[in-house]
Amino acid sequence: MFLAIKEIKHEKLRYALITGMIMLVSYLVFILSGLSSGLQTLNSAAIDTWGANAIVLNKDAQLSLPQSVVNTPDVNKATATGGAKLVQFGGLVKDTAGHKESVQVIGIDQKEFIYKGLKIENGTKLTADNQVVVSDNLKVDGFKLGDNIKFANTNITAKIVGFTKNANLNIAPVVYTTIANAQKITQRPGVVNGVVFKDAKPNVSNLHTSKVYAINDFVNALPGNSAQTMTFNFMIGFLMVIILIVITIFLYILTIQKLPNFGVLKAQGVATKYLVKNTLFQSFLIAVIGVGIAVILTTITALILPAQVPIFISASYVAVTAVLIIVMSLLGSLIPIREIVKVDPYTMIGG
Amino acid sequence: MANLELKNVSKVYGSGVSQLTALNKVNFAAHEGETVLIVGPSGSGKTTFLTIAGGLQTPSTGEVLINGSGYSSTNKNEQSALRLNKIGFVLQAYNLVPFLTVAEQFELVDKVKQNNMAAERFEGVLDTLGIKDLLAKYPKELSGGQRQRVAIARALYADPEYILADEPTAALDTNRSLEVMSLFNQLAHKYQKAVIVVTHDQRLEEKADKVYQIIDGQMSLLKDKTE
Repeated sequence: MFLAIKEIKHEKLRYALITGMIMLVSYLVFILSGLSSGLQTLNSAAIDTWGANAIVLNKDAQLSLPQSVVNTPDVNKATATGGAKLVQFGGLVKDTAGHKESVQVIGIDQKEFIYKGLKIENGTKLTADNQVVVSDNLKVDGFKLGDNIKFANTNITAKIVGFTKNANLNIAPVVYTTIANAQKITQRPGVVNGVVFKDAKPNVSNLHTSKVYAINDFVNALPGNSAQTMTFNFMIGFLMVIILIVITIFLYILTIQKLPNFGVLKAQGVATKYLVKNTLFQSFLIAVIGVGIAVILTTITALILPAQVPIFISASYVAVTAVLIIVMSLLGSLIPIREIVKVDPYTMIGG
Repeated sequence: MANLELKNVSKVYGSGVSQLTALNKVNFAAHEGETVLIVGPSGSGKTTFLTIAGGLQTPSTGEVLINGSGYSSTNKNEQSALRLNKIGFVLQAYNLVPFLTVAEQFELVDKVKQNNMAAERFEGVLDTLGIKDLLAKYPKELSGGQRQRVAIARALYADPEYILADEPTAALDTNRSLEVMSLFNQLAHKYQKAVIVVTHDQRLEEKADKVYQIIDGQMSLLKDKTE
């Protein structure tokens, strides 16, 4: 590794540029994946917090919870095997101070697992129809514990008794209320939109007009979710390919410039293996430094970005992506390495 | 014992009408403590001789022996190891790794090879070559002559059995050329190395123990002071 380190130290600008380039592209990948995860979180964080793995929806609802109406016999069958009823609708809420916000209202049953698993960050769980637990994102919009919120187009009000984290659905904060209150607001008494299960394969059979779906299918069918996820994944994929190409080009040019030196070193008996190891180590080193700086910058960026920007940096995702970029860098150095293996010392001394 | 011997070595490139005989039944011997000069015009076969003697190419026919053992039939890795352990190359260009200081050029030899010249003995080489004060400098900070002397020192540091120099004075003026040749002569005698210098510069003949001439691939002994 002697040659690799000495060369980097001597050619600081050259290697700083390559490292900087790897750093910038990695940073872009991390930020894009952070935004992708952030948006995904906004889409389906509430579902993740329930720990649900399956959902019963009306067969004709095309996996859309608000469009689904599960008939009472099916609801009874589903809840009898551990399901939790949901009533969902999108709407507007405003508090007495005039703060307004589009939300997703979700009615839940106090005897079922969603209610039981609800983690309260501030305040308490709801215990009555005129109480709600809301997403802590609403704090940013000025909503506070004890505020009375009014549901748009109704005269129904409820008091915020608690805030809960990661409560978002369809890129809107969630307002949890009772099933009865939700049905009252929608003026659809007795209507249940869906029943979720923790069990991925719930023991529910003979449903009349409903069907059990995997929760991932339901999440993927959330409006815009697939298009958004695929767009980000394509961008990240393209960036990975760009990293591979750019690193290959940079290392190729550098290696070609050094071929006469490699030729002379080979003529002097320096083994090709030693030169290859040094080149691989050099690629590894600049990739690790570039990716390392990008991770630090990403962390700082995530900390200083305003709360309205949906960014979610997952340590495990960053770690996997970082390793992937480093592997890409090593792959990118394979073509230049081929040149080192091929270089004939005989031609380098005028043969 | 001869350090290096070529017996009836021929090298033929191409075939049919484009066939070229670069070396034709060459016989050559260089002993430890000798400076051997190989002179000849451009295209006479000097570089082919050097690359075959240095294990960079194999002859079409004939044998190359080092201390009596043939190595023409060895594989590339073995030839590489042989160059590392027994041969010191001094080339006319790209002699030194540009991003290493003079001291690091020797450190590199330590990284790839064990049993290099002992420190005390090497101090003497540095003194002889007058490069002790240049250890912290990079090649680009050295003059052509200084670079050549560092290259010679690097070749010696690996403690090879023989040194092959390819046009080592090509970039030097007459005085410097004679100085370098005297240095080779001095090193050959002092460190008991066989120094083989390939050149088209006939001014250097007076400094050599033996002079071979190579013309159209045929080698002949012109002068031998050792007899």
